[in-house]
Parts: sequence; structure tokens; C-alpha cells
Amino acid sequence: MKKWFTWALMAVLIISLFSGCSGSDEKKAEAKKTKDGKVVVDFWTFWGSETRRPIIEKIIDDYNASQDKVFVKHTFLPWGDIWTKNLAAIAAGNPPDVIINDINAVGHRAKNDQAENLSKYIKDDSFKENFYPELWKTVEYKGDPYAVPFNTDTRLLFYNKTAFKEAGLDPNKPPQTWEELESYAEKLDKKSGKKYDRIGFYPLWGSFGADSWMMNADNGQSYIDENGDVKIATKEKVKALNWIKGYNDRIGVEQVNAFKADFGSEQSNPFIAGKVAMMVDVATFYTQIRDYGKDMEFGVAPVPAVSEGEKNWSAGGGFVAEIPKGSNSPKEAYDFIKYLTGTEAQTYWAAQNFDNVANKEAAEKALSELKGTDKEVYQAAVDNMEVTKLFPVPVDAPDYQSKINPMIDAVLLGQRKASDALKDAQKSVEGSIQK
Amino acid sequence: MESVFVKKKDKVNVKYRQKAENKHLIKSLRRREELAGYLFIAPWIIGFVCLMLGPLLFSLYVSFTNYNITSSMEFTGFDNYKRMFTMDHLFWTSLWNTLYYVLFSVPVTTAGAILLAVLLNQRVPGMKWYRTLYYLPAVLSGVAVYLLWMQLLSPSTGLVNTALSWFGIDGPAWLYDPEWTKPALILMKLWSVGGGMLLYLASLQGVPKTMYEAAEIDGAGSLQKFFHITIPMITPVIFFDIVTSLIGGFQIFQEAYVMTENGDGGPVNSLLFYNLHMWNNAFELFNMGYASSMAWVLFVVVMILTMFNLKLGKKWVYYEGGDQK
Repeated sequence: MKKWFTWALMAVLIISLFSGCSGSDEKKAEAKKTKDGKVVVDFWTFWGSETRRPIIEKIIDDYNASQDKVFVKHTFLPWGDIWTKNLAAIAAGNPPDVIINDINAVGHRAKNDQAENLSKYIKDDSFKENFYPELWKTVEYKGDPYAVPFNTDTRLLFYNKTAFKEAGLDPNKPPQTWEELESYAEKLDKKSGKKYDRIGFYPLWGSFGADSWMMNADNGQSYIDENGDVKIATKEKVKALNWIKGYNDRIGVEQVNAFKADFGSEQSNPFIAGKVAMMVDVATFYTQIRDYGKDMEFGVAPVPAVSEGEKNWSAGGGFVAEIPKGSNSPKEAYDFIKYLTGTEAQTYWAAQNFDNVANKEAAEKALSELKGTDKEVYQAAVDNMEVTKLFPVPVDAPDYQSKINPMIDAVLLGQRKASDALKDAQKSVEGSIQK
Repeated sequence: MESVFVKKKDKVNVKYRQKAENKHLIKSLRRREELAGYLFIAPWIIGFVCLMLGPLLFSLYVSFTNYNITSSMEFTGFDNYKRMFTMDHLFWTSLWNTLYYVLFSVPVTTAGAILLAVLLNQRVPGMKWYRTLYYLPAVLSGVAVYLLWMQLLSPSTGLVNTALSWFGIDGPAWLYDPEWTKPALILMKLWSVGGGMLLYLASLQGVPKTMYEAAEIDGAGSLQKFFHITIPMITPVIFFDIVTSLIGGFQIFQEAYVMTENGDGGPVNSLLFYNLHMWNNAFELFNMGYASSMAWVLFVVVMILTMFNLKLGKKWVYYEGGDQK
């Protein structure tokens, strides 16, 4: 009798192990529908803030009002969760129909079967011409699009005009080259005793990392080129890294760390607080200056070029709308994506949010809706798209950053020579790309 | 005659039957009880099998594949393990960082907790307040504490370096200096030894007073009493503390994830702990197969160390109840 129990128990456990827990059986669910028979398109975003949520919901409402067969349902998920949840949902076979995702990893997701190939829905060859070419490049994997660019960002040099005047510099002449940048920086430093009250410029503050500076110096070439060749230990990049290191040498690593730690918590932005006179940051940083800067006098300019005659290469990022693999209503989803990235919705998004959008026509149109400084900064950002580069994650070496960054750290801390460290990084990344 | 016999036989039968029935009843009762028992533990068993054992076995299998959640799950044999030991430099960095952390934080926090417990075991007015005060940090949870410590450890304006400067010491840059990042975390852990302290305090109060009295009569000083009575008497708790904090030490993750920029492991990867590297592989790069094999290697490492600990424990842990070898 006891045996009988044991066996029954085992049976229950085994059944629960194999069926109850692993619910990822291939169950292609029917497309969800509303009560009045409309197909539901589940749309996931991380835009839940007071400013962004009403804007995206207005766009959705407009779309829903124009449809009699489709209903887009907006689901807000926090920034930290959304993509992991999406992945789990894809694995479980019940993903959302449209999601806003990172622009730089589209290829990575395409390779790993996480996004639908859109080539069967995009019938019109000229569709891609609506968007900035640098953005469109990132959504293609093996020649097919797997997402549509939604918004983007670009980095500009912000400078404090009041500080410029104080230091005897012309507030209408921002630095054009690295050399100028450096000499301005020294003039803008303000010290009392050994301590800095204001640091004119430090390249790694703001949101333009060592990788961006090296790209800027290397004629817009990031670590890995389009053919998959690794371009880390180039002469130009070594020079750029040494240039950054030069700031550490001049100001002192300890001073830099001390200064940084004090504003590291993002509670007080050093540029707005007047503690740093020049800083490269995303164009939308302007809204923070506008809202918290109390009539601060500032100017924006393209990122200085490495030397005269070179381009003012800047770095960008952004987000795309895509259809996760396994969506129940991909056709309807694509139709919504078309609207979302169309001129009307994009213009509204751009003007309301002061955000750079991927649709070229919409970016220009939004300009006419802006005034004053808003318009000035937005114009600079739109113009900057010309020289803005993205860093898509190379599908063969998605973890390349983790191999390069410690090397850069070591150089900046004075532990290693730039040329040696970058050579090692080059070797290590090349080793991980096994074709 | 016949009838009498029948009756007698019947009686015997009845008696026998009753006995049998009773036996049967007992058996079925026992069985029902057994069933009830299993039913009562069923929620746990089903939970354990579904939520623990199942995923555990799955991850063991996955560790031999190139599983990436969505597209691939091919059997690749020992490739993941080979890659880990021969090609992944960050694996060794992260293992070293974790070992360093465990090696220093476990003894330091254990000693700290004992010291604190002994101090808080004195008869001083207001002791209850002190005890509460020192235990308080253990109540505060994770991320809030880390953010607080990031401010305390701030190189120029942080409280730690300000206090050091009173003694003329020029404090390090802590979380910004790769040489000091791990010591900074260990220092932070030392701040929250309250939990361990509580255990020691309880066991200290369980040490019989008669032993101290006897030692005093023999002329033992307080240091002698401490090393020859107190410490041996609380070895079981020390042992427990070391075993659990060693296992916990290997699981360090949050601290590095929260306290480094973008959770990338700090300057020169000095805070890239094993679990952080594993997490990056699993959830940033979707290398679930590789991450699973890392998890199993960690499991084996911790298992070996714990077994070693248990073996070693027999040599120095004193159980009052007698021989418990």
C-alpha cells in the first residue's frame, strides 16, 4: 500500500514537473479581440512619466479613432523591466505586438529570433527614405529590416556664456577644434587654493564617453567597421585616448574623482550648477537647463572636431518600434508602427517632447512649431544629425564593450600605455569574433 | 448441538473478524493520515519541484547547450566550460574579485560581530539603547544603504574621508580607485554586522556563569577567560556564521550592480564579481547556456569550500552535548 502511495506521489510530481511548470508549449493563441470585435494590438513602452505618457497616449488615441478593426492597447512597463519581460514573453510564446526597444541592438535581436522580419510588410522600397540613413542602417540585419526607427538623440557641446565672459572669451565663439577646446578649458578653470571651484572642461563628463571621443578623432569610425573589422588600436584612437588622459594629468585623477563624486548622484547637474563650464550632452539636456537653470545663459555648438578640416562627429542612440517574434497580429502591428513613425505622429512627438525623431520630414516640421531658444537648440540638433554616428552592437561580439572599457580605465588611471592597452583590447575583441 | 457449535464458531469468527476489522480500520486510518500528511506538504513539494528542482535540472542541462532563451538550444557538450576556463578572462577576474571579497569580508565581519557582541554584553547603563543602535543598520535594506554609502565614501565631501582628515589622513578615492573599491565594500559590510552580533549576543548569554567563577578562583584574567571560556563556548555559532556568510559572500551582486556606473563592474573591472559577470552574460548578452554553466561552477566551488569547512569544523568547534563527531 505504501508503495502505491509513493508511486502516485512520484507520478504527480513528474507530471507537475513536465507539464505544470513548463508552460511554454507551442500554443499559438488566437489574436485577442475587444468586445466589439476589434483586434487588440498590445503596445509596450516605458513612457510612463507625466510628460511622456499623455503624448504617446494621444498618438494612440488618434490612431484608434481612425480604425474600425484594430484597437491599440498601451501597456506601460518600467525602464528596468521592459526588455527582460519582453524576452520572457517571447520565450513563453505570448509577446506584445509592438514594443519600443533599443536601436543599437536590433541586429542582435534579429539574429536571436526575438523580432519579426518586417520585409514582408514593408512593400514600399522608398519607405526607408523617410528616416535618417544612419538610423535605418541599424535596423537592418542581413539586408532585411527588423524594426523601424522611432526617436534618436545627438550630442552637442553646451557652454556657459556667463563663464565665457568672465574668462574673457567671446560667448558667441564656441571652440571648434580639440585644441581650442583645451585652451578654452584652461582659461575657464577657476581655483581657490588647490581646490577647483569650476573646471572648464573634462571630456568624460556629460554623455560623450571615451569611445565617442575616439570615434570623433578617427573620422567617425567606431570600434568595429561595417565589414566586421576591428578598428580599436588605430593611431587616431590612441591619440584620442592620450588626449583624454592629458586632462587627468593636468587636473589630477584625484581632483577629477573628487569633483565627479560630488555630482555623481545626478542630484545636481554640474553644468547647471556652474561647476563645469563646457559639457557635451544630448540635445534634450536643454530641457533640464530650461526647467532648472533659472535663465542661465548658455550656447550650443557641434562637438569640436579633432583638428581643423575634420568633421564634428557626434554620437547618437535612440529607440525603435518593432514586432516581437511570435506576435499574434503582426499585420495590424505593422500598420500601427507605420503610423507611429509617420510624419503626423512624429511631428507631434517631437514638438511636444522636444525630442529628436527618426522621421526626417517630421523633424523639419517640428521646427516650425517651436520658438525662441527651443527652436535654436532643436535646429542645432537637427543639423547635427548629419554628423551623428550610432554604435550598433556587433552581432558577433555583443560583449565587446566589456573587453575594451577596463583597458580604457587602466590607461586613464595611468596604469598602462594607451597604445599597448588598445592593442590588447583589439586582440581580445578580434579573438571573440569567430566567423 | 450443531447450532451451539455454529454459534461458538460464529462467536470466534466475529471476534476474529472484529480484530481483523480493527486492524483494517487502523490501517486505513493510518493511510488516511498519511494521505493527509502528504496533502499538507504537497504545496511545498509541488513548489519545490516546480520552482526549484525543475529549473535547477533545466539549468544543468542548459549549461551544456548554447541556449539563448529565444532561438537556439543545441547541445554543445563541454564547450561552455572550456570557454570559461580557457578563453574568458573576465571569468578569472570575476572569480578573483569574489574570492578576494570573501577572503577578507568573512573573517573581518565575523571578528567584528564577536567584538561588538562582547562589548554589548557588558553591564553598562543604557545597554538596551546601544544594542538597538548597533543593530539598526542590519534592519535597513539593500539599495538604500548602498546609495547612502556612495555618499559617505565620496572622495572629497564624504563623511568617511572627512573623518579621516581630522587625523591628518588623506583618504583614498574609494569607489573610484580600483585598489580601494573592494576594501570600500568590505568596510560597508562591517557597518552592518548587527545581524551576526545578535546571534553572538544570545550565545554569549548562554555561557554558564559558573565557568567564569571557577576560572576567577583559579586566578584567570579577563583575556584568559575570553580566549579559554568564551570563544570555545560560542564556537558553534562562529562556525554557523562562517559557513553561512561564506556562502552569502560568494553571492555578492547587488552592491556592485548598484554602486558602479551602469552596473558594469567599476573601474578596471575591480568590482566585477562572479554573479555580476554571470548576470551580464544571462540578461545583457542572453548567453543563458554559458551563464548556467557559470552558475554550476560557482555551485561546485561553494560546495567544496563548505565541505572543507564542515570537515575542518570538527577540529575546532566545541559542542557541549558531548561527542558529536
